[in-house]
Amino acid sequence: MIQLFRVSKTFGRDVEALADVSLHLRKGEFVFLTGGSGAGKTSLLRLIFRDLLPTSGQILVSGRNVVRLPEREVPALRRLVGVIFQDFKLLMDRTVAENLHYVARALGTPEAAARRKIGYLLRQVGLLHRANQTPYRLSGGEQQRVAIARALLNDPLILLADEPTGNLDAELAADVIRLLREVNARGTTILLATHNATLVKEQAKRTIVLKAGRVVEDNGA
Amino acid sequence: MRPTRVWSLLTETLANLRRGGWGGLAAVGAITVSSLILGCLWLLTVNLQAIMSDWKAQFEVVVFLRDDITAEQRDLLRRRLQTEAAVAAVQYTTKEEALAVFKRDLRGQASLLEGLGDNPLPASFQLRIGEEHHTPAAMRGLVASLERLEGVEEVLYGLEWIDQLARMVSGLQVVGWAVATILGGTAVFIVGNTIRLAVYARADEIEILRLVGATRGYIRAPFILEGLFQGLLGGTLALLLLFAGYRYVVWRLGLSPAGLLALDGGRFLEPLQVTGLLAAGAVLGGLGSLLSVRRFLKA
Ligand SMILES: Nc1ncnc2c1ncn2[C@@H]1O[C@H](COP(=O)(O)OP(=O)(O)O)[C@@H](O)[C@H]1O
Ligand SMILES: [Mg+2]
Repeated sequence: MIQLFRVSKTFGRDVEALADVSLHLRKGEFVFLTGGSGAGKTSLLRLIFRDLLPTSGQILVSGRNVVRLPEREVPALRRLVGVIFQDFKLLMDRTVAENLHYVARALGTPEAAARRKIGYLLRQVGLLHRANQTPYRLSGGEQQRVAIARALLNDPLILLADEPTGNLDAELAADVIRLLREVNARGTTILLATHNATLVKEQAKRTIVLKAGRVVEDNGA
Repeated sequence: MRPTRVWSLLTETLANLRRGGWGGLAAVGAITVSSLILGCLWLLTVNLQAIMSDWKAQFEVVVFLRDDITAEQRDLLRRRLQTEAAVAAVQYTTKEEALAVFKRDLRGQASLLEGLGDNPLPASFQLRIGEEHHTPAAMRGLVASLERLEGVEEVLYGLEWIDQLARMVSGLQVVGWAVATILGGTAVFIVGNTIRLAVYARADEIEILRLVGATRGYIRAPFILEGLFQGLLGGTLALLLLFAGYRYVVWRLGLSPAGLLALDGGRFLEPLQVTGLLAAGAVLGGLGSLLSVRRFLKA
């Protein structure tokens, strides 16, 4: 589903975010990507949905060569990949429902289907009662779950989650993981970046460890 | 496009226009002014050209006769005129006919005639000049020789007028186009600026749309539409102002005696020009937003 061949990414002259990374994620896997702050986790996720281009190396996502992908085919690639951003990227002046709605519209979901889907997803993440509030009035955990719901709008083949438990206490973090495991159980391949080693240990899943931009451990390759 | 997409584009555009506020107003104003200048230019040209072609169609030299001319002298003169190569046709107008025409032209203002007493209008020969002799030099030669003939009071001809008018029209066109171009450029710039602000105001949303896989066209469409909308609005305003101004001028001219330029009610723009004016507004707005979006919206 996702393959990286000897991928390097250098920012500017000498900030080497990733160095010679090769890995292969199979369809339906749930993989943890871990490593300290600055290890290159976010950069790696961004490469997969072509928010970044590598300095060298090749990337295949669902049969597409991401590096050589023409500009006009980028949207189609991004529609295969749901992303939960580290900073959520919610619009603070719109309600929770609207935050999902304009994305659904942009992805071409017909109006009635979009409404159904949004209702379903908000129920899934336990936020149906918050649908008409702006994110300002929501806790960090609730905002996190809005971001998750938005990432799932398009039934993505692949879900990339960047520190989705970053600012949650242990109990809420466990809730989020449970939710993502359900999504994974329905067939979505998940790559979850986190610096939280405890969480990774608890889940006992395939884990890729990055250190200074290099893969130093991969227990499921 | 699906109806929902059309609808959402429209509501988005309207919301953007509202958000634009004063900036949007400035953009519409700039387009209105530059379209208005273009419209004035066209309107003047249309009317001046109408006058000119009227004159040319009935292109004639008028030979006014002295009141004391004898019938014999008159016949001699007529024959003499008919031998002129440049003269295609000769028509005689008596003093009485001249007065009748004058009265008809002044219909409704008979009081002006009351002080006239005896008919002061001279009899005249109207000469139609052959097409090939419509040059200033030929006309001047002809007029000079006619003025020397016996029984001739005065010779009037239209060519000088037409020459001057033609020069005025083309001068006006040059100046008008220059001004319209400069103002048009300014309008494009102002529209571009409001669109830039709109793009910045929605930077977060645009960023997210980009990342979730919205197409470039989808992201850009509302902004381009906003510019088009502003342009169309400006063009429409210009058209309304132009029409109001035109009606006012015609009304003023209609009041003035003798109808001055024989405007015959004047002419408004041709349908094609009306469309052109609206299109000019839309093009200015669309161009402004397109350039701005290309420059500031890296999606
Ligand atoms: N856009 C960028 N420009 C310059 N340097 C960057 C950029 N993004 C990340 N980096 C650098 O690349 C390295 C890896 O960053 P990142 O991928 O965000 O790591 P992580 O997500 O694991 O904390 C860090 O040294 C970071 O400073
Ligand atoms: Mg990170």
